[in-house]
Amino acid sequence: MELGLIAIAAAIAALTGIGAALGMGFATGKAVESVARQPEASGKISSSLMLGLIMMETTAIYGLFVAILLIFVVAA
Amino acid sequence: MTSSLMLSSGMNLGESIYPEMIQIGGVTLPLSGMIGTALVLILLLVAYFIRRSMKNWPDTPRGLQNVIELIVDTVHNFANDKVSPYADALAPFTLTFMVYILFGTCIELFGIPPITKDINCALALGLTSFVIVNVMALRVLGLHGRIKHLATPSAVVLPIKVLTDCIAPLSMTLRLFANILVGYLIMHLIYLFCPVILPGILSVYFTLLHAAIQCYVFGTLNLNYVQEALE
Repeated sequence: MELGLIAIAAAIAALTGIGAALGMGFATGKAVESVARQPEASGKISSSLMLGLIMMETTAIYGLFVAILLIFVVAA
Repeated sequence: MTSSLMLSSGMNLGESIYPEMIQIGGVTLPLSGMIGTALVLILLLVAYFIRRSMKNWPDTPRGLQNVIELIVDTVHNFANDKVSPYADALAPFTLTFMVYILFGTCIELFGIPPITKDINCALALGLTSFVIVNVMALRVLGLHGRIKHLATPSAVVLPIKVLTDCIAPLSMTLRLFANILVGYLIMHLIYLFCPVILPGILSVYFTLLHAAIQCYVFGTLNLNYVQEALE
């Protein structure tokens, strides 16, 4: 396959970072808001925030993983 | 293009995605399995000596005792929050996962390939977690209760819930494997780019922090899946 096309495909796969970053930004913003409103619930909020961030981070990692597979396995 | 990306051992960087094999006395063995076995032996030896010195420990903790009590207490409280009646059974499992993943990844600092970079190791950990979740659910709820719990709102969601449960270990596997592999590949790209000072600074993030985050994530998700299966 053509190397340039694979490079473009890898770049598109790495764009999943946009979605993950937006989601993480929204979630963290909302969590900070709710901690400011209700400081006594900060423990529960931060633990559920962590769980959400883990799930969001996974999507970004999958995108990065697909990009790495394209570069190192398909192109090799 | 990739032929220029060679590791110091002469291996192509792209090949580090696949599990590595070594030859010992004419037998081909998986490298990560051998490293993992050696690591477990070392950890068990350390645990044995700590356990033996535990008899003479005073009531007021100091030094190493402080650190160990802090770690064990934190994990136990964490398990208590999620699965309170079964924390005594699940906290040791979770801490074992966390210690194995943390040390198995941090050996990258000594130049040994991390064992969790091998997808087989990550899959083994994910399947162990799957077995723990199902054994706990079957022991607590029973077979009838488990099926009833899976078909809770109505019987229509049963296949979807079963599929979700079966995907969970796979998603844990891929998350752990991809995270550690990405950190490993990025560290090697940095070594190729500038082998002197930069890797020392950046490995704090790409090795230590990744290992810490992944060990926390794996422990949390393990407890969370058990909680989901039991509630």
